[in-house]
Parts: sequence; C-alpha cells; structure tokens
Amino acid sequence: MKALILALGLSLSVTGMAHAAGASDTDQERVARWNDLKKEIFAGKTIEPSETMVRIDAPKRAEDAALVPITLAMSDKDKVKGVSLIIDDNPTPYAAHFIFGPAADPGEIKLRVRVNNYTDVHAVTETKDGRFFESKQFVKASGGCSAPMGMSDEEAMKGMGDMRLKFGEATPGKPAEATLMIRHPNFSGMQMNQVSRDYTPARFIQKLDVSYGDTLIFHMDGDISIASNPVINFGFKPEGKGPIKVVASDNQDGRWEKTFEVPSASN
Amino acid sequence: MHRSRLVRPLALVALAALLGAAGPADSPVNVTEPAGLYEGPQHGYTPPTLNGATVVDLAALDRLIAADEPVLLDVVLADRKPQGLPPGTPWLPSHRSIPGAVWLPGAGVVPLTAEQEAEFLKRIAALTGGDKAKPIVTFCRPECWGSWNAGKRLVEAGYSRVHWWPLGVEGWQDTHDTTVVKADKAWTAIASEKATPPAQP
Repeated sequence: MKALILALGLSLSVTGMAHAAGASDTDQERVARWNDLKKEIFAGKTIEPSETMVRIDAPKRAEDAALVPITLAMSDKDKVKGVSLIIDDNPTPYAAHFIFGPAADPGEIKLRVRVNNYTDVHAVTETKDGRFFESKQFVKASGGCSAPMGMSDEEAMKGMGDMRLKFGEATPGKPAEATLMIRHPNFSGMQMNQVSRDYTPARFIQKLDVSYGDTLIFHMDGDISIASNPVINFGFKPEGKGPIKVVASDNQDGRWEKTFEVPSASN
Repeated sequence: MHRSRLVRPLALVALAALLGAAGPADSPVNVTEPAGLYEGPQHGYTPPTLNGATVVDLAALDRLIAADEPVLLDVVLADRKPQGLPPGTPWLPSHRSIPGAVWLPGAGVVPLTAEQEAEFLKRIAALTGGDKAKPIVTFCRPECWGSWNAGKRLVEAGYSRVHWWPLGVEGWQDTHDTTVVKADKAWTAIASEKATPPAQP
C-alpha cells in the first residue's frame, strides 16, 4: 500500500505532461467502462472505429454542463441507418438513439445534452447492411445531470409540448436543414427542487417521430441526458410532399403533435 | 456547470471588493463559520476557513499527497436513481475521485444518526491506524458543506492534522487524473440501513 501511494505521488507530479500526451493512467478505466457499456447496449456486436462513418463535434470544455452542444457528422451518409449517442460516465449513459427514415438526410444531427462528469462521449452508427462503427470525444464538463433549472417546476413546465421548427435556407437540389425546438423541462430525476428539497421525478421526451408527409425523416429514443427544452437539428430530402409532422411523447403519458409547412425553395 | 461555479465566485469577490460591500449570506463573500456543524443544505457558499483545520489549495494538496500520505476522504453524495425512470433503462452510476481516495458518500450530511456518526469515526480510526496526528484531507465538490462538515467532525473528534480541500473532485480533475472509486462498503452498509439516508446534494 505504501509503495502504491508513493507511486501515485510520483505519477501525479508528471500527470500534467502525461495528459497532454494523451496517455493518462485512467485511459484504461475509460476503455473498460466503454467495453461494459457496449456489452450492455449493443449486446456484443462488433463495432469498428471509423471517423468517416461517424464523427463527434463537441466542445472540449463545455461552458454549461447542462447544455452541451453535440454534433454527429456522418460523411458516408447514404449507408447510415441509425446513430446512437452514449455519454460514458453519465449514470444513464445511453443518451439518444436515432433511426433515419427514407426522407432523412443523415449527414448531420445536432442536439444538446447534460454531462455529469469529465467523460468520453461515444457515437455509434449502424449501417443499412448491419455493420457498426464508433468514434469518441473527451468532454470536460461536470454536474450537468443534477443542475437545477433555476425556476420552479411549474414554471419549467409552462407551455410544455410547444414546438417550433426553423428551416435553414433552402437551395434547390441540396439537402434541407431544420431545427426543431420543443418546450419541455426534460427533468432528469436528479435535480432537486431548491425550495422543497425534493427531487423532481424524471420526466423527459422519450419518443420523437418527425416525418415529411407520410415518409419518416427520423425517429428518436431519448433519455434524461438530453438537455431541457430539447433542440434538434436535422437534415431532410427537400423533394418530399406535404407538411412536416412532429409527434413527441414523454415517459409520463404526455403526447404532443404539430405540423409545419415547408417553405418552398426560392428559385 | 461546476466550472462556472468555480469561476463565478471569484468574479463576485472582485466585484464586492470594488464596491467595498460586506457580502450578505447569499453571496460567497465573507461567509462566516457556524459554531458547530452546518445544518443547512449541503450545496451552498462555504466559508474560507475551518477552525482547527488547514484549508489547502491545489499546490498544497499536491505537496501533502507527495510528502505525507494523507487519508483522502471523499464525501460526495452518491447519485440517486431517479424516480420515474422507465424500467430497463441502464442505470450505471460511476464515481471518479482523487486516486487513492476513500469514498464515504454523504458522510458530511447533517444530521447523521448516532450509528452513522459512530461508524464514520470508526472508519476514520481504521484508516488512520488510530493515529490522531495522521493527516486527513476532506473534500467533495465546489461549494459543498459536506466536506466542511466532515472536517469539522474530525476536528471535534480530536484529529490534529485535518485538511479541507474546498474545490474537491472538480478542482482536482481540471489538471489531474481521476480514478474510479467505489463507495466504502462498511460505511454504505450502515448509512443505508438507518433512517435519514444521506441524500441532499
């Protein structure tokens, strides 16, 4: 024990350098955690590393751990069937799972999440031919899952289920982009009501379906790791017909739907 | 989030200094020490001192660890499984701490039951080998009364080299590696068995 503590003392003095070189003592523990999670979530499927099949853009150091912006970029998008986001050290690590439909342009998806501690974040894509690919990014943020919203629960739930859909500039023949905003506290169940000192039970958007006319753009399974007032940015094929329809439901039988007219591409 | 908590108090201190203001109880400036244990919510502005103990910064903590093999006592609360989580959702909390730390979740909660209090002191006696002059460092997260209270308990129990590291795990992991630490079994057994589970953040 004494030798171990001495060894720790020695290694600590060079930690700064070791970290810069990307070779930290805890890398192995993080790898072990990821291996456990893969077993739990992907039931032993072979997952190959590939930055082309999926890349994560996230701030190395988040300004607000309760609102960490994440972009999942999939450059070989025609092969992509779905993508999962896993925040390794969150107590519920499986943050989101997207399945893309025929009306999707799955080149990029953006969302905002809660990060509980300095952690590896993993993205895993599943291709149409049944292969899995992963990539990771280390994110420095902590306390995101339990961070209170700074208002009463009643106030946080005001207008719950209201939605907005903002369209990116449309260019004929190019994939179109839209940002979906849903008013919903997405209570993590780990946040304490600052007045009553009780924990607010988990209430979060569990299922989300976005379709263009009758054709699915994407389906999402959500989790308490998704930030309050979810904002999801997605791409879709512009040649569809009819309005875009959003159906959202939470884990407490809340269900909301709304349709949005797609602005026509100018020239 | 915790990062901004680290930064903001400093800005407020600077602002208060500029204005020459004496800080009220809801500001991080001039928080005074309670006479005994602090009975308010565990998360909140803490005093800059702990009577009978040494408050350490990161450099002092590094030196202490390298030279004195202190008992590193982590009292961060365990993540509580949320109510309303759908069945089947993977619930896999993991705690990272200063390498070598002993984690007694919620050992800074007030009040503890008599059994919890006794178990706490028993664990410390075992960890220090009964040496009241053995250096001990208490910590949790920034702005956490839990580590202050744990330090206070040790001072009152007659430990002569108690150190308090106010920035806790967050202040450490900014520049140092952490390691996965499991909750101390003897402590969690008694802590969960009795009433008043240590559950306040």
